[in-house]
Amino acid sequence: MGSDPLFSHGITLAVILIVLVKVVVAFAVLLVSVLLMIWFERKVLSDMQNRIGPNRAGPFGILQTLADGMKLFFKEDLVPESADRAVFKLAPYLSVVPAFLIFAIVPVGGVIHIFGHTTELQVADPPMGILFLLVMSSISVYGITLAGWGSGSKYPLLGSVRATAQMVSYEAAMGLSIAAVVLISGSLSTRDIVTSQVGTFLGFIPKWNLIRLGIVPFVIFLVAVTAEMNRPPFDLVEAESELVGGFHTEYSSLRFALFFLAEFMNTVTMSAVIVTLFFGGASGPVLFGPGWIWPILWFLIKTGVFLYFYVWVRAALPRLRYDQLMTLGWKVLIPASLGWFLVIAGMQVSSYLGFGIFVLVLVLGWLLSRASGIGSLSEQFRLGRSRSAGTKGVK
Amino acid sequence: MIQYLPILVLVILATLFAGLSIFASALMSPKKPNPAKSAPYECGIIPSHEPPERFPVRFFLVAMIFVVFDIEIIFIYPYAVISKSLGTFGVVEMLVFGVTMFAAFLYLVSNGALNWGRIRRSRDGDSTYEARTSSSTIRRVSSGEKTAA
Repeated sequence: MGSDPLFSHGITLAVILIVLVKVVVAFAVLLVSVLLMIWFERKVLSDMQNRIGPNRAGPFGILQTLADGMKLFFKEDLVPESADRAVFKLAPYLSVVPAFLIFAIVPVGGVIHIFGHTTELQVADPPMGILFLLVMSSISVYGITLAGWGSGSKYPLLGSVRATAQMVSYEAAMGLSIAAVVLISGSLSTRDIVTSQVGTFLGFIPKWNLIRLGIVPFVIFLVAVTAEMNRPPFDLVEAESELVGGFHTEYSSLRFALFFLAEFMNTVTMSAVIVTLFFGGASGPVLFGPGWIWPILWFLIKTGVFLYFYVWVRAALPRLRYDQLMTLGWKVLIPASLGWFLVIAGMQVSSYLGFGIFVLVLVLGWLLSRASGIGSLSEQFRLGRSRSAGTKGVK
Repeated sequence: MIQYLPILVLVILATLFAGLSIFASALMSPKKPNPAKSAPYECGIIPSHEPPERFPVRFFLVAMIFVVFDIEIIFIYPYAVISKSLGTFGVVEMLVFGVTMFAAFLYLVSNGALNWGRIRRSRDGDSTYEARTSSSTIRRVSSGEKTAA
């Protein structure tokens, strides 16, 4: 069971100070990384679309996000008269605080020694770090749901209802694919998950969970997390051609800025979580120089790759239709992740059992495709009957 | 529980950050409300319906089906942690549990519970009617009235 050795000798003033320093540093790093991420996204996106992008504020426009944020401080903060005022004001907090907290469990480096204390380079290492991650991503659903519900307006409500259904469905797929990681590491602590991935097969293939679990859980997790963050191509929550601004249509000024901040912070932290769960996190070879800096460098490089990936996906893929989104989530990702979990569980015991379960899963998958066909047939039958009875079809 | 101390500190810091930012913005921002600004957003025209309180029941169905899978996840996590000590027994138990869940899921899918209906390629005709003209939908801010002169 993972736990930070910082607390093993009781609580002294030095320990409290170290905790405060770690928290403040993580907080500042997150805010700066969001500023850089928004700039990076706009810049890469404009390169991909043959535009110049932000280039006025600071060198290469790097201060553009800061300027936008400052501007929002001076904008009028409107609360629509039809809104539920308390809920409307609570929602940005529920969105931004979990976004900060998820980063707390991500290991960004190895173990360091300061002031006679040993501590891990991560904000907190609770023995149930993975459950904490799931809890926080569940709470951030509330932020979006309540924002849309409390606005008392048409488009935010539609956006938030969509968001709730979407995030809830992909959370199931996300939970099941993380369960495969937990299965092979045997621990819920993120630090233990990283240390279980140290080492190589045959001397050159890294022992990442990506390879140990087969590619499937990683792909499911990547897709599910993209939908969970409402990033393109799953941004139906704020599909501007249908829903104006989605759940934050009625928000302005700094409350809007907090939603925006939470969205990009989630992109950064979830990239870090992907790296932690499937790509060995902060582990990697020490090439030269001081040993403690290399884990941080490897972590930053791996995370950067995924940040670029998200921007790339946004530029490359069109938005899904809602029924396609739900079909992908429920009829492909959830059954696939559940089946793959059982196959891995079987493989851990014996390969015969594993292959047996694999065959069973294939049969069940075939049954699911048949059931889905029957489902759409019965839908058509019902629609045909209701239309001949003179009523309108089901929306 | 002491392992959660940094998380508690971070909660306080993040809440303070959000709260103080909103407070600072409230000090610095102008306040000039008018009826048009505080009305629900409707592309600049007067809303023809009340703010909605109903939404399609399919979203609720999704939530109900999610509960089934959420229970499954709740049982899968403890199993995943101690799977190595449970051995074959654990795998078979999880298999029986998973297949039972899956049978219920198959029933739901074959019933059409996760279908979103036929794709509607054109609108039904009731979105335009003669009473909605530019004089009934456009609001003049200066007069402060809901209907234009």
